[in-house]
Amino acid sequence: MTNAASEFLRSAAAKSGDLRHRQILRTSVDTYNTAVARGKTRFVDWEAARRRAQAIKWEAVNHLDNYLLQFEARVKERDGHVFWAENGEQARKYILDLATARGVRTIVKSKSMVAEEIHLTTALEQLGIRVWETDLGEFIVQLRNEPPYHIVTPAMHLTRSDIAQLFKEKLGGVNTDDPEKLVAAARAALRRAFFSAEMGISGVNFLVADAGMIAITTNEGNGRLGSSLPKIHVALTGIEKVVPRLEDLAVLWPMLATAGTGQAVTCYNTLVGGPRGKDEVDGPEEFHVVLLDNGRSELLADVEQRDVLHCIRCGACLNVCPVYRSVGGHAYGTTYQGPIGSVLTPHLRGLHDFQHLSYASSLCGACTGVCPVRIDLHHHLLHNRRNAVKAGERAWGERFGFRAFRWTMLHPTWFAALGWAGRLALRTVNALGLGGTKLDPLRPWTKERAAPAIPARSFRSLWKERCGTN
Amino acid sequence: MPKVALFIPCFVDQLNPEIGLDMAKVLVRAGYEAEFTRGQTCCGQPAFNTGYWNDAKPLAERFVKVFRSAETVVCPSGSCTTMVRNFYPVLLAKSHLRDEAVKLGQRVFEFSEFLVKVAGRTDLGASFPHRVAYHDACHALRELGLKQEPRELLRHVQGLELVEMPYSDDCCGFGGTFATKFGMISAAMGNAKAGNAENVRAEFLTSTDPSCLMHIEGILRRRNSPVRTIHLARILAHQCGPEGAAAPESAPGKKS
Amino acid sequence: MEQTENSGRERILHRIRAALSGGPAHPVRESDAEIFAQIPDPLERFQSECATNHTECILTANATATAKVVGEILGPISGEIFLQDASELRQAATSFPTGLNLRWSSEGSPVEETQATVTLAEALIALTGSIFVSSACGGRSATVAAPLHIVVAHLAQLVPDLQTLFAAMGRDTALLKNSMLCLTTGSSRTADIEKILVLGAHGPKRLVVVLQRDQP
Repeated sequence: MTNAASEFLRSAAAKSGDLRHRQILRTSVDTYNTAVARGKTRFVDWEAARRRAQAIKWEAVNHLDNYLLQFEARVKERDGHVFWAENGEQARKYILDLATARGVRTIVKSKSMVAEEIHLTTALEQLGIRVWETDLGEFIVQLRNEPPYHIVTPAMHLTRSDIAQLFKEKLGGVNTDDPEKLVAAARAALRRAFFSAEMGISGVNFLVADAGMIAITTNEGNGRLGSSLPKIHVALTGIEKVVPRLEDLAVLWPMLATAGTGQAVTCYNTLVGGPRGKDEVDGPEEFHVVLLDNGRSELLADVEQRDVLHCIRCGACLNVCPVYRSVGGHAYGTTYQGPIGSVLTPHLRGLHDFQHLSYASSLCGACTGVCPVRIDLHHHLLHNRRNAVKAGERAWGERFGFRAFRWTMLHPTWFAALGWAGRLALRTVNALGLGGTKLDPLRPWTKERAAPAIPARSFRSLWKERCGTN
Repeated sequence: MPKVALFIPCFVDQLNPEIGLDMAKVLVRAGYEAEFTRGQTCCGQPAFNTGYWNDAKPLAERFVKVFRSAETVVCPSGSCTTMVRNFYPVLLAKSHLRDEAVKLGQRVFEFSEFLVKVAGRTDLGASFPHRVAYHDACHALRELGLKQEPRELLRHVQGLELVEMPYSDDCCGFGGTFATKFGMISAAMGNAKAGNAENVRAEFLTSTDPSCLMHIEGILRRRNSPVRTIHLARILAHQCGPEGAAAPESAPGKKS
Repeated sequence: MEQTENSGRERILHRIRAALSGGPAHPVRESDAEIFAQIPDPLERFQSECATNHTECILTANATATAKVVGEILGPISGEIFLQDASELRQAATSFPTGLNLRWSSEGSPVEETQATVTLAEALIALTGSIFVSSACGGRSATVAAPLHIVVAHLAQLVPDLQTLFAAMGRDTALLKNSMLCLTTGSSRTADIEKILVLGAHGPKRLVVVLQRDQP
């Protein structure tokens, strides 16, 4: 078992038994579910909307090179820069070199999962640059020195008193658990940063090819301020975030908002096409878009799972996943959690280390049902499992076990005989009072739940007597 | 009399024979002749779900051959039915038996699906005077699209009070090998399900899927719950004697 | 920054083309069905959406009424008020209460202490109760930097939905020349603390749309 897998098992075990944690997530998701149910009523036909959104992303991803080139050309027409990074190291280097060359001391950052993916903040801080997370949830987990718990709501695992305690310790002069006052405290702390930072870094929700603009979605306005006030704006994105046309946002903005939080549309849906225009009042003097590959082009080559690149990072699959709700976001130990994380991470970071995430699922399919772009998530978990087996990544004990299973099931007489013998053995174990002990062959089962009663006779044996009639 | 072939999942054959027998009893009551093809063993789902498609494939091909002359096949499990109908075409995509598998999938039915949609029956003359909650098993719900059919059947059971649990369509946590590989997560999900049944004061929790019920029963017994599980087929087979209400003969479960 | 050498670009494009060379993934079946309902009364819809998303929507008949409303809202503000330098707003300002601390976008951009901004908008969208602004509306930060943002708009700017907005934008090259565009829906907010909605995060806490019937 790899380190990542054993770490996951350890965290999952700890969190699964944590009833307080489970209740917090349950309450959070219940609130979300109510909002989404309401949000969906704005759509005449939610299923048609899902198909439209899926079609838009299909078009974009299946013609990715064309749309990326179109986007790049438009951005360059407006004196923006586009840098293509093959991996995290190249992306970090570009941004770090830029920050150094411009004498950047302070950066304001709005939410970017890609920045998490490449550990950008740590690298910048190592240069002595102060990086302020400006999304409130990200700001909170930054103060706690933790990674985000959820791709959309990074602090969903914390109660208001957790946050009050944190602000009291770290922000000074804050002694309240009133959410309004807590938000005001964060606003005050960050406002200075917005007005003094030399660089703003943002993520990207969509790359609009025909207009050559990036689209940034926030509720707080931090993406707006970060792309308006500092002298330099850097937008970091995966290459798959493309949409062909501006009007595609008429569908995707509402769907992202509805699936993400149940809102009609998120408060600020911003489009940025370049640095400030010649006659504009304000705005950054420089605009840089960093396009990150980091394994996405390999996933693109996997035709069966290419649609994983359609993901618009709405977070709905996390909210609906019973595994995510049991173990929470940190247990995954990866940038992307929940169903999309379990499907995607083996592709970005290797089956060898991360196949366990695709196995840590009951394949219930709830995720596939809610995905606004109709990614076949739970079947892809199955595909990853099949790929792991094909690549010889599974333990030999399991491989042998299924070879034996296959042989048994191809021979009904042996199946019946082994079944009879197995039942006899288990009934004996129980009769000897060894049920539930370390000698119990069913121990992997009985560790967590009572064993089933073992019948004396099988169906086929009983049926023989009844001969098919009542 | 029209015939149906019984598809008895491997673990029902070995661990829950009463479910198979009760399903046959109900089918006979509904006017069918039930046949059991002894050659059947397993549809291959455990291997398939764990990624061992090369081990599952010969089992799928064998299954297709075993049932090739059956006109209609009925199964007391949503997940096993799903395996045949939804996944055999994928698993056998390159097999010479692919087309046969697709056609077979169209004549294999989960038990409640068969009764309501094929036989057109919702009242099987059953009685079960207890408070019962229904668990929406994942495959039955999301892969086969069954939500109302089991509930319709339960509503027609004499004396049965059907109650809706909150989160009835949340996964119970069984998930095949998931139950042992990731036992603590599986147990957390199972305990959430058990708690939901207890909160609506259900006496019994039922479903289309024996594997879900085996897992939930184990959870219930471990937490000394007043709730017991019972498969849908057992409820539909149940009829009160002249003495009045009678508890079902054996609900599975042990004290360990 | 001088154009950095970007050798990765060709390699990435090559990998993308190689990945797609086998042909597209299985195409998806789209439906022609309408996704959003038709909006019979855009003004009514705009107003009810504003009520839902906490945008104050005040209807006025003409420029005089507009100036009066805006003046009343700005009256109590002692700190700096930043306005988009548009002739319509210059005109309105002539009837504002005296003693207001006004600064215009021709003189710079909002500062940390700016208490309110007043701008025009590019469009209003009924479906979602949104305003659509650009960097021409007094700059990029004018529409987000202060705790109070007042938008002066006209009924003729109201479009039913996002589809109509984008169709109009497709034909409006002047609008697309702006380096920034933004669909703003309600005042800034967050629900990051226990999913409790709090208004007034980093953007305005109070968003007012003064919707004038008459054209300017």
